[in-house]
Amino acid sequence: MYIFQVAALLIALLYYGNAQTSTVAVNPTILGSELSADGLKQLAAAVAPQSPVFHPSRGSYFSLNLLSAFPEDLEVSDYCVELLAIFGQRYSTYVNCLVSAARPVKVCQNCYGTHDNLMEIYTNISSDQMGPGNVSCRDSLLRSDRLMLVFLLYNNLEDIWTGSECNSCVSLGLHSLTNDTLYFMATLNQSLRCFEKFQQGNHSALCKECKATYRGLNELYSRMEKNRTLCIDIEDSMNMTRRLWSKNFNCSFPRAENVPVIAVSSFMLFLPIIFYLSSFLHSEQKKRKLIHPKRAKSNTSLVNIQDRLS
Amino acid sequence: MANITKKVSWSSRGDESGGGERTPLLNGSEEVRYTRQFSGDGGMFHIGRLSTVDLEEDMTSDEDSVRGCPKEIPHNEKLLSLKYESLDYDNSENQLFLEEERRMSFLGFKCLEISRWVICGLIGFLTGLIACCIDIAVENLAGVKYFVVKQNIEKFTEVGGLSISLILWAVLNSAFVMVGAVIVAFFEPGAAGSGIPQIKCYLNGVKIPRVVRLKTLVVKVCGVICSVAGGLAVGKEGPMIHSGAVVAAGVSQGRSTSLKKDFKIFEYFRRDTEKRDFVSAGAAAGVSAAFGAPVGGVLFSLEEGASFWNQMLTWRIFFASMISTFTLNFFLSIYNKKPGDLSSPGLINFGRFESDSVAYNLYEIPLFIVMGAVGGLLGALFNILNYWLTIFRIRYVHRPCLQVMEAMLVAAVTATVSFAMIYFSNDCQPLGPDQSEDYPLQLFCADGEYNSMATAFFNTPERSVRSLFHNPPGSYNPLTLSLFTLTYFFLACWTYGLTVSAGVFIPSLLIGAAWGRLFGILLASITPNGSIWADPGKYALIGAAAQLGGIVRMTLSLTVIMVEATGNVTYGLPIMLVLLTAKIVGDYFVEGLYDIHIKLQSVPFLHLEAPATSHWLTAREVMGAPVTCFNRIEKVGTIVDVLSNTSTNHNGFPVVVPVAASDDMGKICGLILRSQLIVLLKHKVFVELARSRLTQRKLQLKDFRDAYPRFPPIQSIHVSQDERECMMDLTEFMNPTPYTVPQETSLPRVFKLFRALGLRHLVVVDSENRVVGLVTRKDLARYHMGKHGLEEMQLAQT
Repeated sequence: MYIFQVAALLIALLYYGNAQTSTVAVNPTILGSELSADGLKQLAAAVAPQSPVFHPSRGSYFSLNLLSAFPEDLEVSDYCVELLAIFGQRYSTYVNCLVSAARPVKVCQNCYGTHDNLMEIYTNISSDQMGPGNVSCRDSLLRSDRLMLVFLLYNNLEDIWTGSECNSCVSLGLHSLTNDTLYFMATLNQSLRCFEKFQQGNHSALCKECKATYRGLNELYSRMEKNRTLCIDIEDSMNMTRRLWSKNFNCSFPRAENVPVIAVSSFMLFLPIIFYLSSFLHSEQKKRKLIHPKRAKSNTSLVNIQDRLS
Repeated sequence: MANITKKVSWSSRGDESGGGERTPLLNGSEEVRYTRQFSGDGGMFHIGRLSTVDLEEDMTSDEDSVRGCPKEIPHNEKLLSLKYESLDYDNSENQLFLEEERRMSFLGFKCLEISRWVICGLIGFLTGLIACCIDIAVENLAGVKYFVVKQNIEKFTEVGGLSISLILWAVLNSAFVMVGAVIVAFFEPGAAGSGIPQIKCYLNGVKIPRVVRLKTLVVKVCGVICSVAGGLAVGKEGPMIHSGAVVAAGVSQGRSTSLKKDFKIFEYFRRDTEKRDFVSAGAAAGVSAAFGAPVGGVLFSLEEGASFWNQMLTWRIFFASMISTFTLNFFLSIYNKKPGDLSSPGLINFGRFESDSVAYNLYEIPLFIVMGAVGGLLGALFNILNYWLTIFRIRYVHRPCLQVMEAMLVAAVTATVSFAMIYFSNDCQPLGPDQSEDYPLQLFCADGEYNSMATAFFNTPERSVRSLFHNPPGSYNPLTLSLFTLTYFFLACWTYGLTVSAGVFIPSLLIGAAWGRLFGILLASITPNGSIWADPGKYALIGAAAQLGGIVRMTLSLTVIMVEATGNVTYGLPIMLVLLTAKIVGDYFVEGLYDIHIKLQSVPFLHLEAPATSHWLTAREVMGAPVTCFNRIEKVGTIVDVLSNTSTNHNGFPVVVPVAASDDMGKICGLILRSQLIVLLKHKVFVELARSRLTQRKLQLKDFRDAYPRFPPIQSIHVSQDERECMMDLTEFMNPTPYTVPQETSLPRVFKLFRALGLRHLVVVDSENRVVGLVTRKDLARYHMGKHGLEEMQLAQT
C-alpha cells in the first residue's frame, strides 16, 4: 500500500507541475479574448440580474457597456433583433413547459405545441431568405462569434427532444398526438382505473381482476416497441405501471415449482455419473502394445564389435 | 553445418564411384546387401539376430517370438504412436527434379510465383466464406432454439410446469449435439476437438492421418455448427483454424482426391514442402477470420511453424489473412443488410473499448499482473482436470456410440445446469435501452426486468462474452458472476475433448471475463471513489486474456490476437504482461492444453529445442540400426518384400554402394522413399523392360506428383513372379545428397537439423561413410524432460 501512496503522490506532483505551466502559457490568450467586445457583452448579460433570457432591445444594458455602439454596418439589424426577441420568449415558454412536465414525464404530450413554435422561429432565423432591408439573420445571429449562443441554446433543447423520441408520438404536420399514442393512453387509463378500484383490500383480487387489461396493455406496448412508435411519455408511464404491478401489488409469478425442477435436474445430473461408472466397469480398457526399443545397447555393442573386427 | 556439407559432398562422391560400378552390379544382381556375414557368426548372436531383421525402428516379429506376447499397458502420455509418420519437407533433388528445373523457363518460375499469390488469395477468400457460413448457420439455428425455448419458458412461467421447459431445452441441446457427435465419431474422428493441436503437429512436420481431407472439412464445419447451436460450452473459433488449413491444403493441390476431380492446375505444388507453406497460410487465414486478427493469424502460423519460414512466405500469408478477414467482413455486411459497412471483421467481435473509463493507469499494472497469475493458476487447474478426463476417455470411452452418448449427456447437463442457475437466480436487472439482449428471460423478475443470469447462460457464448465486456457497471451482481464462473469452468473443462468439433477459445474467454468482471466489481467496492477507474468491462477483458493465456499458453500471437480483436492498441502492454504472467505461473504446474493433447495423442512432436542435459546422447545411441538399405540396382523381389513387410513400415531407405573388400554396410550414395519406390513399381520401371521396350515413356516428376498424397499401399501393386526377378535402377530417382551425420553427433545437434530443415530421415554414417544407422523423428521425440531428468518414451502400436 505504501508504494501505491508514493506512486500516487508522484503522479499528483507531476500533474500539478503540468497544470502550472499550462496556465502560464494559456493566460495571455484568455486575456485577449476577454478584451474583445463579444466577451464583454456576454459578461454584461451574465451580470444582469433580470430574466435569464437576453433582451438585446432594451437600451438600458448598453449603458453598462465599456464600449460604445459599433458603426451602422456591423450592427445587427432591427429585424433580426426582433426575431431574436421572439425566439427568447418562445424559448422560455418551452423550457418552462419542459420543467413542469419533467416528473412524471409528460414532455411530449404537454410541450409539443411550444416545441413547434420554437422550431418555427428558429427555422425563420436560420433560413437564408432575405428579410426586409436585404439582411439575412442567419449570419448575424447564428454565426458571427465563437460561442454561437443562439445555435447552442436551440441545439440543447433539440437534443432533449430527440432523446425523448417525441417525434414518434407526435404527428408533425397535424400538430397533435398520434392515434397510437392516444389509444395507448386510453388503455393505460383503463388499467389504472382497474388498479384504483381494487386497490383497497387484498392485492390478489387485484392481480386476478386486472390481469386481462394489464396484459392487453403489455401486449400493446410490446407491439409499439416493435414498431418503434414509443416516446418517453409512453415508456415512462409503462415503467410506472409495471412497477406498480410487480412491486407494489406483487403480481409477478411466484417461484412455485422448486420440487419438480430440482427433481428433473438431479435426475439429469445423475445420468453422467451412471454413464461414467458403467463405462468404467463394463467397457474394456484400451491397451497399447508396447514395442521395445533396444537400439542404444545393441548399437553400442554393434559399434564395439565393428571396431574390433576392423 | 560444415560437418554436414562435408558429408554431403562425400556422399556425392560415393555416387560417382557408384556410377562406375554400375555394370558389374547389373550382372551380379544376387549380391548380398545386408550384413549377412554376421548372422553366421555364432558368437555374435545378438548382432546376427538384429541384422537379419530389416528394421530401422526395432519392431520385429522376431523380437515378439523371442519375448512372447508384446507387453500391453494402459494408455498414458509417455507413448509414441507408430501410426504417425513424418512429412517429407526435405526436397528430393534427384535427377528428375534437376531435369524439370532445367526445362522450366524463366517465365515458368514467374508463373509459379504468381500462382502462389493466387492460391493464397483463394485460401483467404474460401476461409472467409466458410467462416461466414458457420456464423450465419449458428446464429440462425441458435436463434430458432432460443426462440422456441423462450416461448416455452414464458408460457410455463405463467401456468406452471417449468420442468417441461427444462426437458425441452435439454432435449433440443442433445439433439443438435447428437448430430454433431455422430458425424464426427462415425465418419471422421479426425475432426474432433478444435483442430489446433493437429495443425500444430502438421506444421511441425507430423503427418496426422486424414487431417487435411475434404471430408474432415465438411464434418468439421457441420460439427461446429451443431455443437455451438447445441449450447455446449464451446466456441467456433478454434475449428476455423483447422478449416482454413484444410482449405489451403485442398486449394493448393488443384484437385480433390475425395471427389476424384483433378483440375490440372497447381501441379507443381503437389508435395509436402509446398503444401506446408500453404497450410500455414490457411491456418493464418483461419485465425484471421475467427478473431478479425490478420496480424495475429500470421504470428500464430509463425509461432507454430516457426522452423520453416521466410520473408516472402510471411508476406503471402499476411495477404491470405487480410483477404480472409475482408471476405468475412464483406459477406457478413451483406447478410446484415448493410453492404459495405465493414464492421465485423471476425467471428468473435469484442466490441469497441474506446470510452475514457476503459483507459488504464500506471497503478493498475500490478493488479493486471496479479490477474495474470490467477489466470495461470486457474488455467493450470483446467488443464490438469482436462488431462485426467482425457486419459479416462481414451482408456474407457473409446467406442463411437459411447462417445456420442457422452456428448449428448454433456449437452443435456449443460442445459440443466444453466436452467437451474437461471431458475434459482434472484438477480434481476432493468432492461437498458442500449443493451441488445437478444433473448432476455423475465421468469420471476418484475415486469420490465430480466434475469441477469440468463444473459450469461441463455445465449451463445460469443454474445455472453460481449455482454460481460460491455454491459454497463451494475448489470451483474457478484453472486451471479461467481456462480457463473464456477459452473462454466467445470462445464468447459468437461466439454473439451468430447467427440465433437469445437474450440476452447471462447469458453476460456468467457470464464476469464466472468471472474475478471467480478474482480473489477470487488475492486470498485473496496476502493474509495474507485468507480472512476475500476471499470468492470476493462477487468473482464484482462481476466479473459489471463484465463485464455493460462489455458492455451500461447504468447506473441495471442497478445496480438487480443489486441486486434479489441481494436485498441493501448491494451497491448497490459495484455502482454497478463499473458506473460499466466504462462510463467501455469508452466510451473503443467503444460498448455494443446501440448497436453498432443502428448496424449502420442504424436512424435519435436519441440523448439532438444531436451536440456541431452548433450551426452550421441547419434549412435539415438539412431535406429541396422538399416534396411537398397543397392543402386536392386532386385524387384527384394524391394517388394521389404515394402510389404508389415512389421516394418519404413519410409526411407538409404541406397548404398557395397564396399568391395568389406563385410559391412555399403557406402551411402542416396536415399529413396517408400512413396517413390511404390510409384516406380507401379509404372514397372525395370531395367529389363526398359531394354526391351525402348520406346517406353520416361518417368517424370509429374508421375510422382499425380500419386501424391495418397500413394497406393504396396499390397495393391501386383508384381508377377517373372517381374520379381527383374532389376530396378534407383539412381535417377533417389535423393543423391541426403543429409548425413557422423556417429558422434550429439542429440541437440541432430535435433536442430531436424527442426530447422524439416528432415524426415537422417543417415548416420561412420568415418568411411558407411551407413550405420538412421535417425527418424520418433527417435528424437522419445526423449523428454521428466520429473527425474531425461526420460525416454516408449513406442506403442495404436
